[in-house]
Amino acid sequence: MSLVNFTNREITCKIVYYGPGRSGKTTNLLYVHRQVPADRKGKMVSLATTTERTLFFDFLPIELGTISGFITRFQLYTVPGQIYYNATRKLVLNGADGIVFVADSQARQLDENIESFRNLQENLLEEGVDIRTIPLVIQYNKQDLPSDLVLSKEELDETLNFREVPSFGANAIAGEGVFETLKGISELVLRRLGEEGPG
Amino acid sequence: MTDVKAVEEWAEAPLGRFVKESGLRLSLLTTTSGQVVAQYGFTKSLDVMAAAALGAGVVSSTALMCQMIGEGGLVRINNRGHAQGIFLGEFDTPRGRHVVLAVYDSGSSAGLVQLFFEDLVEEITASCPAPETRRVILAEDFERELNDNLAALFGRK
Repeated sequence: MSLVNFTNREITCKIVYYGPGRSGKTTNLLYVHRQVPADRKGKMVSLATTTERTLFFDFLPIELGTISGFITRFQLYTVPGQIYYNATRKLVLNGADGIVFVADSQARQLDENIESFRNLQENLLEEGVDIRTIPLVIQYNKQDLPSDLVLSKEELDETLNFREVPSFGANAIAGEGVFETLKGISELVLRRLGEEGPG
Repeated sequence: MTDVKAVEEWAEAPLGRFVKESGLRLSLLTTTSGQVVAQYGFTKSLDVMAAAALGAGVVSSTALMCQMIGEGGLVRINNRGHAQGIFLGEFDTPRGRHVVLAVYDSGSSAGLVQLFFEDLVEEITASCPAPETRRVILAEDFERELNDNLAALFGRK
């Protein structure tokens, strides 16, 4: 749920990066963290296991600047991808204004992508949110891997993108597609805020 | 009055009193999804958000564990460190459930913080209005502003 202060003219929105384990959600945030100047970002918080897998969430607050006269801040979260962390995924999803679904483009990961997308749908429903109504973009990460290992953006769209939401190919380690993805979800979230108001 | 910065005006005076009476070093009032409603003592606005996200995460995960063992009720957590303590508590308002994080040192105590926390809950419950339905009026070219800002942020300008 976005928070809007009409007196100080400030907007704060929550964006959640969702997707299967090892699809590159944390990598997206790390790239954003590296790119954004120090005075426009907060500390990146990572609650991870000793093997660097996300345990609870990663968190990165960034200040976008002034949009339509409002100082606009985004709070970027990731969820743990592994199937057995569903309880914590639900907690992080609570109050999200927009979702970036990070899919792994490898053909052998297709079932995991579908399972994770279904899990997103179920967890949103439990919160009373219809996946067809919340701002959502899809990122197909690891498109840089050899072509015989990965599915194309079109093939993945066919399977996962039934809503025909904006989708982006990416190589998050190199930063390709990270900016475009963030831009895509930012537009959708702000447009919805303008249409429906906070909460 | 203490120097409380409030996103929501109704939270400013009650949190200010809570900070003063409990002798707190830092305090935060947030939603359960980690959005900051009011804060005291933090020097960098973006670091406040990290504390808010962590506080909301701790409270929501504790609430879930309580449910799992069949315990209902609102979460109250206190951790006393060597020099400082952290108190976290959740409560209901007309705008939904909120979380308070309070950091205190040897000038205060867990008991004192919990005592004044109950006063804070009463005050906020009384002062918090129903949710606002005002809309943000976006400029027609807000996408251009957004793109320019993001491009600058990513060093693409």
